[in-house]
Amino acid sequence: MKEKFILSKGLETELELKGLSRRDFLKYCTATAALFGLSEFEFTAGIARAMETASKKPPVIWLEGQDCAGCTIAFTQILNPPASSIILDTISLRYHETAMAAAGYLAEKAYDETVKKGGYVLIVEGSVPSADDRYCMIGGRSFRKILEEAAAKAGAIIAVGACATYGGIPAATPTKGIGLDKALPKKTVINLPTCPVHPDRLAGTILYYLATGKVPELDKYGRPLMYYRELIHDNCRRRGHFNAGEFLTDWNDPKQREWCMIQKGCKGPLTHADCPIRRWNDGINFCIDCGSVCNGCAEPGFYAQMTPLYTVEAETLRKIYAQNEKPDKENT
Amino acid sequence: MAKKITIDPVTRIEGHLKIEIEIEDGKVKDAWSSGTMARGFEALLTGKDPRDAPYVTSRFCGVCFSVHQMASARALDAAFGAKVPWGGTLIRNLVMGAEYIYDHVIHFYQLSALDYIDIMAIADYSGKDKDLLAVKDKIVSLVKSRDTFPLTPRYEPDEFSVKDPEIVTTAVKHYIDALKMNAKARNMGAIWGGRTPHYQNIVVGGVTSYPDINQVARFRTMLDEQKKFVEEVYIPDVLAFGTGPLWPLATMGVGGGHYNYLSYGAFEKDSAGKDLLFPPGVITGLNPADIRIDKFDPEKITESVKYAWYKEKVPVHPYNGEQIFNLDKKGAYSFVKAPRYDGNPMEVGPLARMIISKNKDILGLVEKGAKPGAVARHASRAIETKLVVDACYNWLDQLQAEMTKPGFKIHDTEHWNPPYSGMGVGFFEPPRGALGHWIKIKDHKIENYQAVVPSTWNASPRCENGVRGQYEESLIGVPVPDPENPINVVRVIRSFDPCLACAIHIIDPQTNEVRKFIVE
Repeated sequence: MKEKFILSKGLETELELKGLSRRDFLKYCTATAALFGLSEFEFTAGIARAMETASKKPPVIWLEGQDCAGCTIAFTQILNPPASSIILDTISLRYHETAMAAAGYLAEKAYDETVKKGGYVLIVEGSVPSADDRYCMIGGRSFRKILEEAAAKAGAIIAVGACATYGGIPAATPTKGIGLDKALPKKTVINLPTCPVHPDRLAGTILYYLATGKVPELDKYGRPLMYYRELIHDNCRRRGHFNAGEFLTDWNDPKQREWCMIQKGCKGPLTHADCPIRRWNDGINFCIDCGSVCNGCAEPGFYAQMTPLYTVEAETLRKIYAQNEKPDKENT
Repeated sequence: MAKKITIDPVTRIEGHLKIEIEIEDGKVKDAWSSGTMARGFEALLTGKDPRDAPYVTSRFCGVCFSVHQMASARALDAAFGAKVPWGGTLIRNLVMGAEYIYDHVIHFYQLSALDYIDIMAIADYSGKDKDLLAVKDKIVSLVKSRDTFPLTPRYEPDEFSVKDPEIVTTAVKHYIDALKMNAKARNMGAIWGGRTPHYQNIVVGGVTSYPDINQVARFRTMLDEQKKFVEEVYIPDVLAFGTGPLWPLATMGVGGGHYNYLSYGAFEKDSAGKDLLFPPGVITGLNPADIRIDKFDPEKITESVKYAWYKEKVPVHPYNGEQIFNLDKKGAYSFVKAPRYDGNPMEVGPLARMIISKNKDILGLVEKGAKPGAVARHASRAIETKLVVDACYNWLDQLQAEMTKPGFKIHDTEHWNPPYSGMGVGFFEPPRGALGHWIKIKDHKIENYQAVVPSTWNASPRCENGVRGQYEESLIGVPVPDPENPINVVRVIRSFDPCLACAIHIIDPQTNEVRKFIVE
């Protein structure tokens, strides 16, 4: 039987043409492996395979702007399917700033090549500082410029997390972070808000795009309806207590343990996401089930319109009650 | 003679930290540490409801998540006059314990171990262990498939790299095992934390997660698995490395720095709150033969912005700190301020905590000839992971006893609403070291908010007097025989557990050539 080479002659030649030595290439693989929690050898073998069959696998570029790396960390903790299988078997991850850290100039080359060819999936984490480009510079260039260039020839664009979608918390800082809705106003962007991104929603969106070649059906804010169609409130298991007018005021009272959190500032009635169904950490828990509130991190108004987070301010209350006056769908 | 240094401002990385060094005669002669991304969170908080702060500041970092939530909540506790019930403190400690175990283990295996092993040694494994043979088979088949090795480590192994086939093969197997343990530790924290990264349950006055007995049992079962891994895998590996092949690096004290150490103290062991798992203290100029620990005085902390991209200001206490950017400031090279204690730069983190608590295991290594430095930092991290695991059992037992008492509480409901005015500081010891949040409240809103984070202490630039920060100082004299292969520099920087990607530039004084190396 013919021996299977880790780096085929064809791939090696191609790498050389691109100015990458074999050693450089393997170094890059090693660094990427560390980030995604893969052993070096598994990853090296996998990425080599992936690149050899690159024509079948869509290339992916992952950019980071003003971020906390929380979305990257969240993505690496996905178990079903494991992030490693998505990265190795499903996509060809060409660029990830944190992942490719071991080889700065190599990353740049891989990035340039991929951008030149076009047609890749672009994933963006973190906001774009609109007050001054210098608040986020990468390789001497502004993040905004890099983003615009990468977006121009992307096949699909996915914004992950609250910052990249609509600006999130950095939007309220002096750096005036903006999301892709403002940074790339003319582009169709698949928005996957929440702080951080839910790994299932990211994996599912990628898999959907690869399976169908299409962008999933989006709502008016660019969010896939399959994850963001319904209000948290409508699927909340505390909903019965809301209807009964039972609101938690004291976290120490076991009787109130499952009562509605609106008096503590819950934004569930205004927030569209499937958190109560999907839950987090492999189904172990989610915000409302640990006795906390929904802070509305799936909505475009997060964070500026959600603050104060833990109290019922007049405006929030008005909106929530206005919503509650609508006819109850289940009962009509 | 060192020539003028060309600075490439930012490299192509997810770069929050950049390190430049100058080499002469095969050794680091000078070093600069720069933070290169800013978001301005502290300014955002001004005018907000103070209760937002733990949620917002948690987003400082998604890797060492939620440690800011903890420090921020403690600052609010002080400013609101809230007394966290013991049940609330126990749950806070338990979710932070889970974060510790995840964080220290990932640091050793995923981020550091590969700097210390020659992975190709696996091919020579001759033992009979089934699991290790499987690791070997896999690698050997990869090696055989082509003329050159596919498993080249980041940098060429040097004389300190571990080459023993059994140790290396075992380490690689443990590297894979650690990944699973890591995800499980995060899930353990989510039992009360709600989710990761960024817990949801820590608020002023305590926590929101009223526990039940099943959760205690679940946490305990998951902790049992972590304990087994820490005791039977992690600690033996660190000891095998540290006292074996890396012993020369340990005795040379590579990566020592200023030998100043600071711990704020953290983790109450009992409801009296006096006895802490990690005691507070300060050491200036460590003398291992006669360790003198001064009392920690929060008033002695100041921050210098002379070399940072902020509006010029004399060094001030964090209560009076401000965050007004000046991107055009001459001489500035970092977004990181330069915190000093009594005017001195300090190292914070596991090594500082273990020396200040006079931990017998770490002092035992020092007695045998190890000097505080890169290797001692790894050892300290492993030692304190075990301390945290044991403490978690203690906290679980106390929680179980506490929650069955009538009137069990997790939150100070009386002090939930913000006072008209107040001020407070919240200290905590996250895995990476001393963390402080300072808040001033006026008219029920935040008037000023400042955080001094562990990476600010360790990665700080020079201060008013031109004294280097701890990263910078710890690189001085580090052997770099081959500028193409700065493996010792990487080892030193990684030993601090930088939670930031960092770029290292090496400038050869002879040719003024800039070579780029990246620590991921």
